[in-house]
Amino acid sequence: MSTLAWSPFWTLFKREIHRTLRVIYETIAAPLVSSLLYFLIFGVSLGKQIQNVDGVTYFAFLIPGLVTMGALKSAFDNSSGLIVVAKFCNELEDYRIVPISAIQMSWASGLASTVRAFIVGGITFFVGFLFYYYTEGVWLIPEHPFLFLFFLFMGSLAFAHLGLGLSMIATNYEQVSAINTFILLPLIYLGGIFFSLDQLPPFWRNVSELNPFLYIVSGVRYGLLGIGDGPLMLSFVITFVAWALSYLFSIYSLKTGSYRQWG
Amino acid sequence: MKLPLKIQNLKKNYGDLWAVNDVSFEIQPGEVVGLLGPNGAGKTSLISTIVTVEAPTSGTVEVFGHDVQKNARAAKVMTGCVPQEAVHHPYFTIEELLYFQAGYYGVASDHDHIHYLLDRLALLPQRHKKLKQLSGGMKRRFLIAKALVHKPKLLLLDEPTAGVDVELRTSLWDFVQTLRDSGVSVLLTTHYLEEAEALCDRVLVINKGKIKLTGEPQEIIKKLTEREVVMTLKEPLPHLTHPYLVEQSGHKMVFRFSASRSIGELISELPLEMHGIQDLIIREGKLEHALQHVLEDGE
Repeated sequence: MSTLAWSPFWTLFKREIHRTLRVIYETIAAPLVSSLLYFLIFGVSLGKQIQNVDGVTYFAFLIPGLVTMGALKSAFDNSSGLIVVAKFCNELEDYRIVPISAIQMSWASGLASTVRAFIVGGITFFVGFLFYYYTEGVWLIPEHPFLFLFFLFMGSLAFAHLGLGLSMIATNYEQVSAINTFILLPLIYLGGIFFSLDQLPPFWRNVSELNPFLYIVSGVRYGLLGIGDGPLMLSFVITFVAWALSYLFSIYSLKTGSYRQWG
Repeated sequence: MKLPLKIQNLKKNYGDLWAVNDVSFEIQPGEVVGLLGPNGAGKTSLISTIVTVEAPTSGTVEVFGHDVQKNARAAKVMTGCVPQEAVHHPYFTIEELLYFQAGYYGVASDHDHIHYLLDRLALLPQRHKKLKQLSGGMKRRFLIAKALVHKPKLLLLDEPTAGVDVELRTSLWDFVQTLRDSGVSVLLTTHYLEEAEALCDRVLVINKGKIKLTGEPQEIIKKLTEREVVMTLKEPLPHLTHPYLVEQSGHKMVFRFSASRSIGELISELPLEMHGIQDLIIREGKLEHALQHVLEDGE
């Protein structure tokens, strides 16, 4: 019975890792190209005309934001993709037939998506790392490597669970697409990737302070550069609460959502 | 003794539609039970409730004594399910899919059994192909292999031979017989009445979510169909009046009567001796006719 208790979790985790490797072009090439373009346009080209932010160059400021964006978006897409593909193929019913629990599904999918998020985040960091040396002439060494990895891990896991939960309760693909366009993208782009809170007018600053993504980016930025928006403890608390709520939401969705094929 | 399947007062509705309406039945160990009924009768809804794809509105389903809602994991380990349609997995080969399926049940290391299933269901040469590259019959065989990968003791087959050729159908029947001989209990839904007659120890006729009739196929045929007897006589008889006589011309007489009555009884009621009969053709009723009878009565 103990083998059975862990086996469904490991099986789905391995299956999801295999799935990521089967779409290796999507996993590696796409973030490589997009991070190259972001760094070229915002870092090397426009970045020279922007003054230092919180005591670091704009290019350095940009790197943790783009790493976080790539990783978290990838985590969301991966776990969401598991459900979307399964709902299109009518595979989701299989997960009801086999002895896998909602908790096991959420963790297996969440952790596998986090592995993919770390591949994408790692590639983005590597590209930024090389560009930084090219433009600044020194290597970018993380100030607090553990914090850098911790915030990236917790943020990725939170977005993976969120992607799983939202796709489970969506009744068609258009809803998933709308969530991506109208909720996820504004959260990410207004989450302090390209700017510091201090650079915003008071109204938009207050609005941005409600965005949990901002605190995840701030935590990652603190880990890499030693600077962030607001106290580190606040980033800790909000990142943890964001993960906990996403996790509970994914369990709720897996228990109450429809496993039927999308028509 | 814990029964492979015990369903009590099961109800499942979708809004105003009662797909399953107060259904109760049991399956004994090693028994093959056929669930017969027209499209939309509630067969697939019933299967979906057993495998927890759908939650029941009320009532209970127990697999080997485990309530499928309260103790789902224990019930799922004992159950294999062959759905109506194959799922197209875009990323994996059928062998990989079987290993993943085995992994969910904690038996992925049982390579011999996975190899046996691939071989027994003639899928070994196709094991490195993806599902979309297989023919309809191969997909069906894959679904059966997938359902049996963890050696379940209760197998649910939802239209297992729909759309497959006669040769494959026969080989799948043989396979079901082998499973039954090894102690597996089977619940199968089918449109092919010939299949139900050939395979099932018992059939349940379902329509509009309700069980209309249950019994052994031969019993049902006997009870609800008519037997046709064509008698050729050595010498023609004068015009007869008999309640079962439907045709009389020259040497030939055709009788039609309930299969529950014997031919001996009929002959004893006729003014002739046995040696006066030159030939006797008996056409037994079909389960199809019995089913029609039940469904028409239920309208």
